[in-house]
Amino acid sequence: MNWTNAGPEIFYLAAGLLFLLLSLVAEPNPRREHLTALFLASVGILVCLVSAGSQGHLFIRAFRLDIFSQVFKVLLALGLFLIICICGDMTDIKERRHQVFYFLLFTGTMALMLLVSADHLLSIYISLEVSSYSLYILVALRQKQSYGLEAGIKYFLVGSFSSAVMLFGMALLYSTSGTIYLTDMARVLPGIINQPGVIIGLLFTLGGFFFKLAVFPFHFWAPDTYQGAANQVAAYIATASKVAAIAVILRVAAFAGQGSVYLVHCLVILSVVSMTLGNLAAIVQKDIKRLLAFSTIAHSGYVLLGILVLSPAGYSGAIFYALALLLMEFTAFMVIVELASDGRNLQIEELAGLHKRSPIMALALMVSLFSLAGIPPTIGFAGKFLVFVAAIEKGYVSLVIIAMINVVISLYYYLIVIKAAYLLEPAEELPPLSLSFPKTLLAGASAVVIVVAGFAPYWLVRLAQTAAQALIWSR
Amino acid sequence: MRMASAAFPYLSAILLSCVIGMLAILLIPPDRKVLIKRVSAVFSGITLVLSLFLFLAYDKNLGGFQFVENVPWIPSLGISYFNAVDGFSLPNLLLTGIVFFTGVLTMWELETRVKEFFALYFLLVTGVFGLFMSLDLFFIFVWYDVSLFPMYLLIAVWGSTRKEYGAMKLTLYLLAGSALILPAVIFLYAKSGMNTFSIVSLMQPGILSPGAQKFAFILLFIGFGILAAVWPLHTWSPVGHVAAPTGVSMVHAGVLMKIGAFGILRVAIMLCPLGWVYWANLMAVLAATGVIYGVLAGLRQTDLKYVIGYSSVSHMGVVGLGLSTVTAEGLNGAVFQMFAHGIMTALLFSSVGYIYDRTHTKLIPELGGLSRIMPVASAFFIFAALAGIGVPGLAPFWGELVVFVAAFRTYPVLGVIAVLALVVSALFMLRVVQRTFYGPENERFAKLPDISLSLGIPRIILSAVLLIVGFFPSFLFDIIRTASVPFMSGLPR
Repeated sequence: MNWTNAGPEIFYLAAGLLFLLLSLVAEPNPRREHLTALFLASVGILVCLVSAGSQGHLFIRAFRLDIFSQVFKVLLALGLFLIICICGDMTDIKERRHQVFYFLLFTGTMALMLLVSADHLLSIYISLEVSSYSLYILVALRQKQSYGLEAGIKYFLVGSFSSAVMLFGMALLYSTSGTIYLTDMARVLPGIINQPGVIIGLLFTLGGFFFKLAVFPFHFWAPDTYQGAANQVAAYIATASKVAAIAVILRVAAFAGQGSVYLVHCLVILSVVSMTLGNLAAIVQKDIKRLLAFSTIAHSGYVLLGILVLSPAGYSGAIFYALALLLMEFTAFMVIVELASDGRNLQIEELAGLHKRSPIMALALMVSLFSLAGIPPTIGFAGKFLVFVAAIEKGYVSLVIIAMINVVISLYYYLIVIKAAYLLEPAEELPPLSLSFPKTLLAGASAVVIVVAGFAPYWLVRLAQTAAQALIWSR
Repeated sequence: MRMASAAFPYLSAILLSCVIGMLAILLIPPDRKVLIKRVSAVFSGITLVLSLFLFLAYDKNLGGFQFVENVPWIPSLGISYFNAVDGFSLPNLLLTGIVFFTGVLTMWELETRVKEFFALYFLLVTGVFGLFMSLDLFFIFVWYDVSLFPMYLLIAVWGSTRKEYGAMKLTLYLLAGSALILPAVIFLYAKSGMNTFSIVSLMQPGILSPGAQKFAFILLFIGFGILAAVWPLHTWSPVGHVAAPTGVSMVHAGVLMKIGAFGILRVAIMLCPLGWVYWANLMAVLAATGVIYGVLAGLRQTDLKYVIGYSSVSHMGVVGLGLSTVTAEGLNGAVFQMFAHGIMTALLFSSVGYIYDRTHTKLIPELGGLSRIMPVASAFFIFAALAGIGVPGLAPFWGELVVFVAAFRTYPVLGVIAVLALVVSALFMLRVVQRTFYGPENERFAKLPDISLSLGIPRIILSAVLLIVGFFPSFLFDIIRTASVPFMSGLPR
């Protein structure tokens, strides 16, 4: 075993422990901690990039390193870095808890990195739990305890319920296939794929990941948790955690789900219900974080569409979609964090007059929302396009039409938000937002990246296709 | 299919001057309004000059696609940045150039949020130009949506009369259209099995099975038909026109609706000719209903902009009727009518815009006797209204004539009904003119100034185009024929 292969995980664990140590010995100093975290997170991206080429196994094949897992590790590192960028002034988490906050953020990311490379049912379970537990606490850290605690407990209850379901599913899979390695299942399962035990095992196992991705019927936590968690934590859940969930669903579905008609049928239903329910429920929301939570449920439906076709094109579409989701959700949350500088929950009508107060933030918000709605030329459209191409190539024309109708529905509530930012005048005159240069740069850069990557996605598509190949080759 | 590559990328130059114009506007401080307008005029002028140049430089003897630019974009998916013009797209490019330039001049008096307005306006037109010149299905879809989403803000921020409702309705309707177009486009891509989105490759006979063509055609027809205001999917259009600010109404009714008709022609008809033949009867019935419905609904309106909005529905019905005849003459007439109606509607909206800016009302009963108060401004409207009625010597006459001659052969009954409807429309248009511009004056407006020369320029340009094309229709027909005749003769029967 080559220890350097585990570079990213070791680095993030060490960074987390550093903050734990800091919380024991040093007085809290938010600015110092933020800069340290920012530095560590940017080094983390480098570490992930350096180890991007490594292949092989770790810990008696419990973890499998291939281009797929390494791409997702880079995405996660990028996600963590972006989230830490907007943690500059966290007013709704007590100052003395900031060190713990960063500790949990880094260890949570480490767990997500383990999750995307896990190849063993137990290692999947353990890394999923480690990441979930850091999130439960992160959600509950909010200063307004009534919000945070309620959200944390709801999150925890749904989470532990779905891990119980997942464990049951894993047990079924083990008992039917006789193996606990995903790679071996890819060999054994196709012969017995239509046995009831295998189908139920697969679905229940996926249930644990559906919880992470907020797919119907495991979506109940999302709106309350987004609303109850601090804005930065909600941003982390909406970005990094979702990306890892997409990765692990992809791996399990690709390795174990080949050739299963029933599984595909179930996924079709879950996908359609998720997108429809998410979009319809989002229409009536007043709180912008709740709105985004419901829209994420809808997005998980679109991602499932790419996964359920079980073809390389679909996988690469879903991988691309994960990247797109990371960027668009981050940009939307960045605006929320900036506007709600005292850490409150932002209502849609509070966006009124944003175009005057800060044109660049209004622009970033508009671009991210149009991207979420899937309007070209944005990265969100490119993601949808890849997924839809894969689905139609496999003959799911009607499914794509349903998805497109959902896109129309979703545009309605995104337009309501855009209308608030560009049209409504605030009841009382609000001062212009004073943005520091890095923040302006970040907002401008996110908007530009979303548009440019949507207009010329060639390299990103290539990357996604290469990563998807790793799911096919390596039987 | 003959393809002549371009020595200089003129088509990309048109797109680039839009994009650079937009970026330049974004860089100017918002309070330098005059500079912003001048920059807008210069860059929109460049696009007009370039599109006029292309129109004149196109080799009619050679025909086919010319000024081709083809760069692989995403090779693994068969997407390429593939631009070219032919006889169908050239009139539309020229139309866009004219309406864009005159639209900028018409909005010269705008004072609120000038910078954002012109930036969005340029973005909108970029999409329109891109769609008319693109031969790649992926890019056609992208341009369709690029031209769509600035609309929401343009109407909702700068519009009037139920602007938020109109903007939302328009955006959702048009996006619903794209919801049908995207699956259809990908369906054609997947069915061909050629891993290409290029229209030129996909339109070769025998690539797409008849069943696939029939299925894709109806999706594409409905999808683009929403934008072309095909009855009964037209309801967004009068509401949207009325709510939009003048310059946007001009682009919208003048050019954007043509995108719909052009999409039906370029994507649905050219890729799925068998589907076209199969569904032609349905197209004809819907188009004729649209002609009649537009006229009847227009009769009841008291708002000048609603009158124009419904007359647009009816005129776009004429375009649809031409497309549904499955003859070269029908296509000629339809494309000609797209151009003529674009210029005419732009002039109508432009004139109403001037009147509305002065009187702050568009209601016919409140106006009256305007021709004595502002004779020149009234003359522009009356001129455009006469063109709309189909007075010989003005451009729309030829489009309608050719379409109806073709329609009489294929659908005699529908043709007769549609012509009768247009006669009624002439009566009601004249009544609108009479009540608005003649009769007793409204005292409130007696002191209003007539249109100044600088504001008159865009209206003069539009009127001149109507006259020139009206007197020399072969100017357009010769070019359209280079596309329609080879296409119809190559059609599998």
